[in-house]
Amino acid sequence: MSSLTMRPCGDFRTSYKQDNTIFETRTIRNFAIIAIALLCAAPYLVDAYYLTLFIQISYLGIAALGLNILVGYTGQISLGHGAFFGFGAFASAWMNVSFGIPVVFCIPLAGFLTMGVGMVFGLPASRIKGLYLAIATLAAQFILEDFFARADWFSGGSAGSSADPISLFGFAFDTDESFFYVALFALVFMYIWGCNLMRSREGRAFIAVRDHYLSAEIMGIKLNKYRLLSFGVSSFYAGIGGALYAHYLGYVSAEGFTLFMSIQFLAMIIIGGLGSVKGTLMGVVFMVFLPEVLESGVGLMKMTEWGNIPMVVDGLAYIKEMAIGLVIILFLIFEPEGMAHRWAQIKNYWKFYPFSY
Amino acid sequence: MQHKAKLSSLFVCCALGMSTQVLAKDTVFVGHLADMSGPTAFVGKNYADGVRDSLAYINANGGIKGTTLEYETIDYAYKVPQAIASYKKWHSRKKMVAMQGWGTADTEALISFVAKDKVPVFSASYSGHLTDPTGKNPHTKKPAPYNFFYGASYSDACRGLVQWAAQDWKDKGEKGKPKFTHIGANHPFPNAPKQACAEYATELGFDVQPAVVVSMKPGDFKAQCLSLKSSGSNYGYIGNLGGSVLSLVKSCNTVGTDIQFMSNIWGGDKKIFSAAGEGIKDYVFPTMTPFWTDDVPGMKLVREISKQSDESGKEVRVHHYIRGVCSTFFMKEAMEWAKDNGGITGENIKKGMYARKNWVPKGLEGACLAANWTNEDHRGINQVNIYKGNYNGGDIAVEKVSQVTLKRRDDWLGY
Repeated sequence: MSSLTMRPCGDFRTSYKQDNTIFETRTIRNFAIIAIALLCAAPYLVDAYYLTLFIQISYLGIAALGLNILVGYTGQISLGHGAFFGFGAFASAWMNVSFGIPVVFCIPLAGFLTMGVGMVFGLPASRIKGLYLAIATLAAQFILEDFFARADWFSGGSAGSSADPISLFGFAFDTDESFFYVALFALVFMYIWGCNLMRSREGRAFIAVRDHYLSAEIMGIKLNKYRLLSFGVSSFYAGIGGALYAHYLGYVSAEGFTLFMSIQFLAMIIIGGLGSVKGTLMGVVFMVFLPEVLESGVGLMKMTEWGNIPMVVDGLAYIKEMAIGLVIILFLIFEPEGMAHRWAQIKNYWKFYPFSY
Repeated sequence: MQHKAKLSSLFVCCALGMSTQVLAKDTVFVGHLADMSGPTAFVGKNYADGVRDSLAYINANGGIKGTTLEYETIDYAYKVPQAIASYKKWHSRKKMVAMQGWGTADTEALISFVAKDKVPVFSASYSGHLTDPTGKNPHTKKPAPYNFFYGASYSDACRGLVQWAAQDWKDKGEKGKPKFTHIGANHPFPNAPKQACAEYATELGFDVQPAVVVSMKPGDFKAQCLSLKSSGSNYGYIGNLGGSVLSLVKSCNTVGTDIQFMSNIWGGDKKIFSAAGEGIKDYVFPTMTPFWTDDVPGMKLVREISKQSDESGKEVRVHHYIRGVCSTFFMKEAMEWAKDNGGITGENIKKGMYARKNWVPKGLEGACLAANWTNEDHRGINQVNIYKGNYNGGDIAVEKVSQVTLKRRDDWLGY
């Protein structure tokens, strides 16, 4: 059975090992490895525009996976993820500048620092649920946003703080081409880590808390511990994503980490698929590419004779903004379970072609 | 079938996305980031029109000594990721030589990139910390060697207003220490001059009150106005723009505060006066250009430029538009210098910015102030024109009350 490249119709898993694999079949695993190998060659094949989009996908994707662990896997909610992302960015720059810690160490340290902050703001989760928790985490957003603007010693206040590029053995990763590898490594590492977390005892506990907290408690799962842990892991991911963002840009300003960013993270995981690692990445890719594809649509209009007058171009800018909202609504109506679900359906369709049911 | 249709439409989208333009001969590319639909669109649109019309005008009149400007305006709606992506696209595909930027968010996110890629950026973010290109002042967190802007920095404009306020206090024959308060959202843009301005106000003998935080979004600000009233502030610096300023003025009228408002450059224009109506009294704001109706030689060219998007020439532009024109024309003349001195590249344009003293772009005499940029000091303009405006029953009356020239103090560089 294991020699087959395709999984047969129905679930025929007979061992824990089969139940536990990251990739369902060998083909999928091979495809994933080939895709990563191809991505390694990307800096030689595509220009900085695509590289910068990939780097965006990487740091946003890492943070979004954190939120999916919290929302999709543990069934909690957070409206402060954007602020945690920002905290990671500032923390990493701050440790590098103030204490002279090399950037490579600052990034994971920033993750742990953000984890601590996230767990503090996650404390209410042990008492409250649902909308109440959402509002409690909203407080994190506002408190941290204000903190960034005021704490001169930490974030540089309104002047912002500068962040050095990552350097390893004297080589500075300060171009898109070189930073691409850092982003790729971080993305693959954090996603494998996320997959493994979900296969572990803690991951199963998260899912149990999500599916029925009372049953989970009866089975001996400490609700408070796992809810808090989930907040911690989620913030850790946000912190790593934020730190990568800081050292990519070389400069962090308090302006970017608004509530809008938190909502956008939620939109990414809802569009991609709650409770799916693969879906998270799909949602992030979608949200990063959507404005760019629409922008190039506007760009094409501008190339035509009748399209390049300010009235049309400005009008298109508004349409572009509205289109982003429209696409999100359409997605929620026609694919409420996210892109991961749609992907599974497409795969099934072709697998059983022409005898789909 | 459904899936196939979806897939094919996806491919079409991708193909559209990847198509690139073919470059014509002898052109250079200038990127233009604008906010026409985001949170700063209230003034962003006017400024963007100024830049865009100027670029079109330059092309229609011979370009940069024969070199055509290829340009693209992107409405990034004040979103940093889109600003970065646009910048990278322009830099890698179009070999951008210079960029006209917009706000605090995009300008600061791009400081490191433009310094490394050697692309001069002409922003409409006038933060003081963009003025120290070499990091001479220990205050400076991050030198910004490739950032330029036309106008006095937020800090310098606020210093000018404070200087006017000190004189105003004396002229009125008031006794005692006047009280000064910074009013604005807790965000980088309103906060940019906060500390610098408060320090100068203290130096001039003001009693500086704790800052009052007013949201950037319009709302009910009576609570803030009450605290202004109870602290007895005499002079208030407004750091916000657009609807937020309107709400503040209206709320404070209801409460009945007796405070002299002084706004930052983005918070005072015709639109504010006509929207605020009778409530707005003796509102003081700085400008770096004359107004649309002023009769100075340079305005003739500005009105010609305006016809690029308004053929009738009837539209009345606010002064932000003229600043957009000035910003673009300083860039244009620096590019001309660059063309004569080794070709239009980012590095040469930067050198071109330092080539002249008391520099006014040709044809814009009186419209743009004389500027001096040096390789150690990016405070191009150190003059602040201060105006006082009244609604005056719909016939908005604006009078010049002062012109302050600030000293180029070393401890103010980049701060």
